[in-house]
Amino acid sequence: MAVNTHLVEVRLRPEFADAEGASALGLLHGQGLSSLKEVRVSRLYELKGPISSNQVQQAAKDLLCDGVTQEYRILAPVQAPLNGMNFWRVEVWLKHTVTDPVGETVKTAIAEMGLPCPETVRCAQVYRLAGRCAKPQLERAVSKTVANPLIHRCIVSEAHP
Amino acid sequence: MSAPVDASADRDALCVLGKSPKDLRALAEARHLSLNDSEWAAIQGHFKLLKREPSLSEIETVAQTWSEHCKHKTFTSPIRYTEGRKTRLIKNLFEETIVAATTAAKKPWCLSVFKDNAGVVAFGKTWALAFKAETHNHPSALEPYGGAETGVGGVIRDVLGCGLGAKPVLNTDVFCFGRPDYKGALPEGAHHPARTLRGVVEGVRDYGNRMGIPTAGGAIWFDDDYRLNPLVFCGTVGLLPQWAVKKGVKAGDLIVAVGGRTGRDGLHGATFSSAVLGTDSPSSAVQIGHAIAEKRVLDALLRARDRRLYSSVTDCGAGGFSSAVGELAAHCGARVRLEAVPLKTSDLESWEIWLSESQERMVLAVPPKNLKALETVFAAEGCETAVIGEFTRSGRLEVLHHDRTVVDLDMKFLHNGLPRVSREAVWNPPPSAKPSGGAEMNIAHVLREAVAHLNVCSRERIIRQYDHEVQGGTIIKPLQGVRHDGPGDACVIWPYAATGDLEDFAGFSVAHGLNPDYGRLDPYAMAMACVDEALRNLTCVGADPSRAALLDNFCWASPEDPKQLGALVRAAEGCRDAAKGFSAPFISGKDSLYNQSKDEKGRPLQIPGTLLISALAPVPDIRKAVTMDFKGPGNALYLIGRTNDELGGSLYYKLLGRSGGTPPQVCPASALDGFKSLHSAILKGLVLSAHDLSEGGLAVTAAEMGFSGEFGCLLDLDEVPRDPRIYCNATLLFSESPSRILVEVKPDAESSFLRHFGKGAKSASVRRVGTTTANPVLKVVGLDGSSILEQSLRELKEGWQKTLPEALG
Repeated sequence: MAVNTHLVEVRLRPEFADAEGASALGLLHGQGLSSLKEVRVSRLYELKGPISSNQVQQAAKDLLCDGVTQEYRILAPVQAPLNGMNFWRVEVWLKHTVTDPVGETVKTAIAEMGLPCPETVRCAQVYRLAGRCAKPQLERAVSKTVANPLIHRCIVSEAHP
Repeated sequence: MSAPVDASADRDALCVLGKSPKDLRALAEARHLSLNDSEWAAIQGHFKLLKREPSLSEIETVAQTWSEHCKHKTFTSPIRYTEGRKTRLIKNLFEETIVAATTAAKKPWCLSVFKDNAGVVAFGKTWALAFKAETHNHPSALEPYGGAETGVGGVIRDVLGCGLGAKPVLNTDVFCFGRPDYKGALPEGAHHPARTLRGVVEGVRDYGNRMGIPTAGGAIWFDDDYRLNPLVFCGTVGLLPQWAVKKGVKAGDLIVAVGGRTGRDGLHGATFSSAVLGTDSPSSAVQIGHAIAEKRVLDALLRARDRRLYSSVTDCGAGGFSSAVGELAAHCGARVRLEAVPLKTSDLESWEIWLSESQERMVLAVPPKNLKALETVFAAEGCETAVIGEFTRSGRLEVLHHDRTVVDLDMKFLHNGLPRVSREAVWNPPPSAKPSGGAEMNIAHVLREAVAHLNVCSRERIIRQYDHEVQGGTIIKPLQGVRHDGPGDACVIWPYAATGDLEDFAGFSVAHGLNPDYGRLDPYAMAMACVDEALRNLTCVGADPSRAALLDNFCWASPEDPKQLGALVRAAEGCRDAAKGFSAPFISGKDSLYNQSKDEKGRPLQIPGTLLISALAPVPDIRKAVTMDFKGPGNALYLIGRTNDELGGSLYYKLLGRSGGTPPQVCPASALDGFKSLHSAILKGLVLSAHDLSEGGLAVTAAEMGFSGEFGCLLDLDEVPRDPRIYCNATLLFSESPSRILVEVKPDAESSFLRHFGKGAKSASVRRVGTTTANPVLKVVGLDGSSILEQSLRELKEGWQKTLPEALG
């Protein structure tokens, strides 16, 4: 089977309060981003290896997502750029030189489900921000609060609501 | 017999013979080797005799083994110590202070001291407790979450690798941070203290909780001089059967690596933590822990231990396989084949495999006949094992990679070849001991400020993040009182889940002593006070102070500064005298030096010399354990210990803005008498509550006992046992004289209680100083008989509770 890359995002359903997001919002406000109104946090899993889209769907549904409080979606590896200044998406990945324990555990768990074992699984924290701010300011604030440039790489992009 | 070392086997083979000290210094800096000129000279001399260049792996092995982190060079090298006009030579500070005190104590219940990964003391007739506290300061400064996580993981592995393996039953955490509301500038790249605090707490929380070990003891100290160099002390207590205390490698045993795979993470941790922190610190020294992987190792290892499948074990800590195999094989020899090591990525060089500090790995010495059974036990936990070599009788450390020899070192050179370099140390007491500056303040105002001070206020916001109930044996919890939110002195653990014995009510307690403010005036007094505080805290909950065992953790700035080293010597001598005076042996310890950085203006910023004393003692009957909250109205309050005018370094002086003064002085003999008497009274069930007097003195202690129990009290300062020269109410209320405990006793038990302080404890001062009341108000009658304080405890509690949440935002 060909080596594929899949991205699975798991997030709290919108009707649930997001304590982690509220905490991140407080930290970002402390860095001067006072116009931010809301932060929601989700997990992003990058699965690489001989695993099909259907099998990824099954892993997402049965392993990665708690169907009661969470929902998931499979993302396209390359997302279309967006315009607009009111919504941002920040992905915080561990650098490849740093061990990713969550990714390792997910990899083992997928194999234990009887699915093909991915070659690698990496996990990121995703912050979905609502509110106006400038990208350089946001990048700087993120590096001082929810990410450490020493071990993390961050992708800051404009996003859908 | 292995092939001669092929220096070219390492891609970046080193050429050191004939190089000048300047070239070697540059090389050491470029590769983060932390080797000094005399060490390079010893290496050059050794390889000159061998008539060959060392390989990169050999140099890295020597640098790791000889690092301050692994060899504790400062504590074991000669020191010319000058105090005032007198100069004397200390041949080995560690032997002459810490070890000397333990030797003098001659405690038969000390089963293993200073030689294993943790100290071990007897716990009943069949069990033993292993205790260790480690620091993870440098990694936590760079990456607070990962640094703290791996600090916890590391100390758990220390206990797991102690004897033939101990089951962790308690984690402790003690931190020193800059103030979380620090408003000043920071150098580029440094984390704000609030961020460091958050990350460290999350790291300790996530690792301890996921491992299923209660985190139930600890402390936090705030001081802006820690803003660039936070201190993170992680401790673990483990339980093991007494038969498993001894271990020994035999030639022919297989070297088996278990647990996590080896990657490029954590390189140069030992040498990195033996140097001054700077902007060029290697990011590779920082890692993220994997608690679930370590939990698997723990479960499998203990199962294999009980089936006696291996003859020795140690953890892969700083220096990775080089340290672990080097230590296990110190008295025999070892041959390792690196190609057998399970790797995370296949592109690792020989030296990287050998030195990597990837987490969650242990090394076992396994008799060949037991290998299959051992593999089965670990496989059942989904835990990888690999035979990476064997122990030999050669007295050499031989490392091969795909049949090329990359290390071939004489064990004697590796472990005994470190040149001992004499250092200078100077101690000059502060020029004037007289207190100066600051203005007197209203007592009620001082009390409100004192309970709300960062070093006194509630830690509930942090403590609640830790699982202190897992394993079900936490008898005295970190938060106490009717609403479970008061400050405890120490935790009491009943490890029945590990012993499986529900009929045995013996438990143990762990407590700490730390106060760097005293050390600024006199490190000797600080050390004495820290030991006293730790023992006092143990006594308050019902632990036996005559069975206490101590750990020392020294965190200091660079010992190359004679003043810093002088203060360190003085602190070590304080430890010695306190341990001898209290007859409490040190069983293990650790030092972390070079805790200094350059501040935002490029000036050196040193931490205050910091000593953490951790104490462990058995609680003979956990059903008799005592908490610190008042239990009811109308009970008698007794103060044990004498109050002196020794406010130097006190919270009171800090609030007044006053400097100088004499720090608290400990008299171990009378203190121990008082502690023993109180312990026997607690065992008889005569004590309702007990709380030690520390920061903020009698006033803060009474307030904490009151608002935790929701009862008030009336104190009469004229009844306080004291130096008769004291005529000041504030001194009696806020003095931090050591060895004092406030005790609540039922009126009908007073005479029985006092009998415990009779003949056998002539020097202990104990007096009835007040009564508990139903109305939650703290009332104090001054020396002249007038009321000097009437303060609502509800208000005090509010102030005490809101400080930390407000500072953290």
